[in-house]
Amino acid sequence: MGEPQARDKGIILIAAGTACAVMLPLVWAVFAKSEGDLLLRLQGRDPHALAELYDLYGKLVYGLVLRVVRDAAIAEDLVQETFLRAWNRVAGFDCERGAVGPWLLAIARNRAIDHLRCHGRRERSTVEFEETEHPSAFADLENDIVRSDIVERVKKALKLLEANQRSAIELAYFEGLSQTEIAERMGQPLGTVKTWVRRALEHLRGELRGGRSA
Amino acid sequence: MSCDELRPDYELFVMGTLEDPERLEVLAHVESGCRTCSLGIREARATVYALGASAEGPAPPAGLRNRLLASVGAAPRSAWHWNMAWRIAAAVAIAAIVALVYVDWRQAAETTALRKQVGREAAESAGLRAALTLLESPETREVRFGEGQPAPPRGRVFVNPSSGVLLVASNLPAPPAGKTYEMWIVPKAGKPAPAGLFASGADGTAVHVYRAPVSLADIGAIAVTLEPAGGVEAPTSQPVIAAAL
Repeated sequence: MGEPQARDKGIILIAAGTACAVMLPLVWAVFAKSEGDLLLRLQGRDPHALAELYDLYGKLVYGLVLRVVRDAAIAEDLVQETFLRAWNRVAGFDCERGAVGPWLLAIARNRAIDHLRCHGRRERSTVEFEETEHPSAFADLENDIVRSDIVERVKKALKLLEANQRSAIELAYFEGLSQTEIAERMGQPLGTVKTWVRRALEHLRGELRGGRSA
Repeated sequence: MSCDELRPDYELFVMGTLEDPERLEVLAHVESGCRTCSLGIREARATVYALGASAEGPAPPAGLRNRLLASVGAAPRSAWHWNMAWRIAAAVAIAAIVALVYVDWRQAAETTALRKQVGREAAESAGLRAALTLLESPETREVRFGEGQPAPPRGRVFVNPSSGVLLVASNLPAPPAGKTYEMWIVPKAGKPAPAGLFASGADGTAVHVYRAPVSLADIGAIAVTLEPAGGVEAPTSQPVIAAAL
């Protein structure tokens, strides 16, 4: 009497295990593919895909832009501009190999820094910012770089930097200043600023590597 | 410049803040297909992304999403999209499988308990049938024990040469934890032979049947001792019941 029941139970457990084994990769495949599919729909000019892209990255983009321009109304305009720029340029984006998050943040940062330059009457630096947000630059980036735990790790590492190192890095990233401009802004010799930037980046790079191998 | 010399500049290059001539050097390495610099820049994009994502801020205003959608000519739609629907469907499916396994496990446990109960009742029923058969037989010999005693167990033993021994007792306290009652057939000469384990009920009564042919002429007594659970091959304590034949 006990054996058939144990066999039935075993069959059900195996069936449930198999179902889970089949479902989980499927679910993961759906999640993993979702961003690629989303990009394909954006390329197909599906406006609802733009809404989904905004749902995924809107907060991150708004946070970055607000940090740069420090004005909510201007940040709103620039966030809208960022997503519209992505909407208009997504055709050149490689849906299979590209990482959309880093691309969007690059566009957002450039829009915000351009705004600072236009309104702060700052000279555009020698660097052509347009190059930094070209869709091709974001091909073959591993998807794990957008992992929130890695970002948290870098965020913590940033807080642990020496004040001068952190300031130099923040001026480079959030204000788009070159090392010469940072040296002028901080009133420090260029060599000193270069050392600060180099050490800060070494530290952040190390944290990122540690996070990705964890 | 060598790749090693350019390595510290990769992040600034990605940020667009690297100045000439270093910027032109990195660019020349990348454009010439330098694998070291290309990989380094790819890694630098991750660092730069993390810097951007580290900017903490409030959630964007609620109207911004609709404004964005309106600017591409789309009607606003809830943030609840198919991606979310997929996730919920997958979660529901997994929950259903877990529930199914749990229900099956519960049912199996209940069925096992019922089978055990039926088995116990069948054994009791068989024991009663054997007892009745034994009682009805004219060859059965009856012996009383414990009569005249104030507290100890009392009752009767019925011995039948072909059916075995039936013990009916009262005033028999429930055995302590880890102990059981064991019945013995004590021959006139030789060692007592074990005749089964039993326990008394909460009311102090016990009925035990030993179903095997016995030799009335050779039996000196039927005894019961308190033994460790699982029983023993030879008595280890003084009898609590002793019925001499």
